[in-house]
Amino acid sequence: MNRLLALGATILLAGCGATTTIDEYRPNNQIMDINSEQSVVILGRRDAGHYDTDREFIDCVASKMKGADIGVFPEQQFVDAIYPWFEPRTAPKGLKRLRRLMKDPAITEQIERNGIRYLVWLDGSTETHDKGGSISCAIGPGGGGCFGFAQWEKSSIYEAIVWDLTNLTEKGRLRVDSSGTSYLLGVVAPIPLLTPVKNDACASLGTQLKQFFTVDQSQ
Amino acid sequence: MPTTKTTILTLALTVLFISGCSSSAQVQIDSQFPTVVSKPKSVTAAIVFNQEFTNYIANPNSKTRIDLGSAQTELLSNAFAGLFDQVEFVSAATDVTFDNALVITPSVQEVQVSTPSDTYLNVYEVWIKYSLDIQTANGDQVDSWFMPAYGKTPDSFMLSKTNAIEEATVIALRDAGAKLLLDFYRIPSVYNWLVTEQVSHKNRKRSSHSE
Repeated sequence: MNRLLALGATILLAGCGATTTIDEYRPNNQIMDINSEQSVVILGRRDAGHYDTDREFIDCVASKMKGADIGVFPEQQFVDAIYPWFEPRTAPKGLKRLRRLMKDPAITEQIERNGIRYLVWLDGSTETHDKGGSISCAIGPGGGGCFGFAQWEKSSIYEAIVWDLTNLTEKGRLRVDSSGTSYLLGVVAPIPLLTPVKNDACASLGTQLKQFFTVDQSQ
Repeated sequence: MPTTKTTILTLALTVLFISGCSSSAQVQIDSQFPTVVSKPKSVTAAIVFNQEFTNYIANPNSKTRIDLGSAQTELLSNAFAGLFDQVEFVSAATDVTFDNALVITPSVQEVQVSTPSDTYLNVYEVWIKYSLDIQTANGDQVDSWFMPAYGKTPDSFMLSKTNAIEEATVIALRDAGAKLLLDFYRIPSVYNWLVTEQVSHKNRKRSSHSE
């Protein structure tokens, strides 16, 4: 009986894993040149009308990258240091606009003073869809409980674009696509079986970005 | 008697509980704004921050009150200092001491707020509609420029209404600074005034040399 229960729990929990795919593109295999005095800044795109690349995800990716001795400059500090040129209205969407912006000596001076070498644009969101089932909870004088079953699917799609602020070129793109189904079982007490889709996307993207900045240095 | 006491206590607790759910918001903007990174043009300007502007309190609806005055004065002072190399801030147009200067009087036309309960979107939004009255020091009208600014919260999760409106207002104020720095010299009438002023400045210089 215990074995059957353990097997059932294993199957159920295995169903809560997220499926994550990472795509990486680099225009060439040149070494990512970065020294100990230089740092990378990770910025979220905030110009879309219906979503914002959330700060929690950016902080998560930044914390994953810090493990590889890469200096990560805080996003808000960068946006404030260069105000108002990286606000949602003014932030460069392409390299052409970045090159024009970098012609301003006041902006270049701020970037050099803060030792920022690379800029990583993160764009994307996590969305919930395909909700199904129903669960209801009730309470009475004799006690209470929840009965039913609910499920929903979450998908996280994020793209990272790496810009070199010294050469004013694009160094590469990474895309993470993670999805998974979460369940809520109502068996007297509600039992949540949640799939960490966003966490998985963050961990995968952070690890890949870390490799992006370090892998070629050993070659 | 104990029953009456219990009823009163229950009623008091219910009133307290319901008043806790009230959706009114009193917002005071206390944020500090960063200094602008910009090389000012060699233009002289006087900025008129009248009392109505510096003490401005927006009432976008009957349940929301946003004290914007000091924050918008700080932000626009900073932004104007990034546009003009010589700038003075006065409280009335009669106090302007510069000659051959632009005299700019900002005012707020309207403030709008939208909450998730209004739009069914997961964000709080704030629009601030500014108007810049631009004149020369002689009192000639150059333009009246409409300058809208917009701010929204990333989401509304775990945010109180007051905190969310404050966050969206700060983003809208930052957007106003960005809009001003990006677009001010693109206003055709301002650009024309600048060209005319530069030509007459050169002529004045030439005639002073020939004398």
